[in-house]
Amino acid sequence: MKIEKMSFEESITKLEEIVKELEDENISLEESMEKFEMGIKLSSNCLKKLNEAEGKIEELTRSEDGKLVTRELDLEKENK
Amino acid sequence: MEGSNPLKSKIYTVSELNLEIRKNLESNYLDIWLEGEVSNFYFHDKKHMYFDLKDENSKIRVVMFHNNNKNLLFNIEEGLHILINGYVSVYEKRGEYQVVALDARPVGKGSLILAFEQLKEKLEKKGYFDRIHKKNIPILPNKIGIATSIGGAVIRDIISVLNRRFKNFHLIIRDVNVQGITSSDEICEAIDDLCQYGVDVIILARGGGSLEDLWAFNTEKLAEKIFDCPVPLISAVGHETDYTIADFVADKRAATPSVAGEIVILNKTEAVENLKETSKKIKNLIKSKIAILKKEFNFLTSRRILIKPETILNKFNQAAGELHIKLIENMERLIRTRGKILSDYRQLIYEKNIFKRIYIYKMAIKNIDIRIISDIKNYLTLKKSRLKIILENLQEKNPVAILERGFAIIYREKEDKNIKSIDEVKINQKVRIMLRDGILNARILKKIYKKLEIGFKNEN
Repeated sequence: MKIEKMSFEESITKLEEIVKELEDENISLEESMEKFEMGIKLSSNCLKKLNEAEGKIEELTRSEDGKLVTRELDLEKENK
Repeated sequence: MEGSNPLKSKIYTVSELNLEIRKNLESNYLDIWLEGEVSNFYFHDKKHMYFDLKDENSKIRVVMFHNNNKNLLFNIEEGLHILINGYVSVYEKRGEYQVVALDARPVGKGSLILAFEQLKEKLEKKGYFDRIHKKNIPILPNKIGIATSIGGAVIRDIISVLNRRFKNFHLIIRDVNVQGITSSDEICEAIDDLCQYGVDVIILARGGGSLEDLWAFNTEKLAEKIFDCPVPLISAVGHETDYTIADFVADKRAATPSVAGEIVILNKTEAVENLKETSKKIKNLIKSKIAILKKEFNFLTSRRILIKPETILNKFNQAAGELHIKLIENMERLIRTRGKILSDYRQLIYEKNIFKRIYIYKMAIKNIDIRIISDIKNYLTLKKSRLKIILENLQEKNPVAILERGFAIIYREKEDKNIKSIDEVKINQKVRIMLRDGILNARILKKIYKKLEIGFKNEN
């Protein structure tokens, strides 16, 4: 699977696997370089995913014609 | 029987009596409360309920029509102790009476508690609470859906938790009444809407309250909606001690709405920290791996074979030369020692005169050969001469040879048997005389006895 298409969970799981594999002294340099490269990619993919969300609060309602619509809310400010 | 004279009394028709009884009963028992144990319960088409209420000694028919039972929270069932409110109704045509129940409530515990217990038991039996149906809550949902009252404190609590954990969270709020008759249906609709809009997780949230306040979360309809919901769902209703049916069916129960904020998304700072740690770890791992390999490489490259290969080769060359010389020496020595053994044998052969002996034996054998050959020759000559004699003898005795010399042989006329004595023939007997060149047929004329002498002379 392409790393870019992996979910955060999948990336994290794979990353943990890679750490374990790298800890194995018996893997070849070539292999460990591959793993290392993948690990770095996964890690940055995870970081990307962490920042991907938009960071907003919306309200979901139905318009008069029954369509689902969202509008941004400012509850946050009210809260503070 | 005194006073019991049909002539003096009013005589009712059946209809009249039934009508009168109905009027009496229905006006006297217009609004009554009746307590008893349910038996012979029959729920016709899930609409009208028919059952008996009984005590130790007696029972009475009860009917509760759909209109009146549809809003009952709990289920009326066999053996349940209930209190009903209603009136007595008489069915004139049959002369039968029954109680029409307008309302019912359990005796001993509240309707809500009973209803809760009944629904919980039912759904549990259907497997709605089984672990196997629980979906995993994503740790990093892109969009978080929440069904709650937008005006309440709960949503603000959740938002503040989310803010602490993950600044750039994306929250989709679906405003619903979390209390009241329509509440349960609204929440069901909100779940549908959030699913349709597309969120990664749904939170149902409400603050604490009485069992009645939280009732929207205890309906069978909502339980089914949650159970069928394709999106992972967290229930966050009331305080830690409040349990609702929704809590049991949901994929995850948050003890309070704030806890839901913690469950629904990971802590970003921690996550980033962990990722950094992991990156560092794999970098270190690869570094140490490279360091080890470098060390190995250095060790290998520092060896003479790699620095000055010709010195090693020279050494090998020299060793090879030495070995060559040694090999030749060894071979020569070997040849020498083996050669000596050979000449020793030769000497031995000479010393023992073996060749001479062989010559003598050979000569002896030759002599024997010559003797044997001459013996055989002599023997053959002897045999040959004897054979010649026999042959000559045979020649002499050959009858043809005799005929050649002028003798004759006399046979009988008809037999091939020769006649050797005159006694064998009679006078006038025919005989055959065989000569050298043919046969004579003859007749015996006369017999003369005369002994033949050697040097036979013709008589005639």
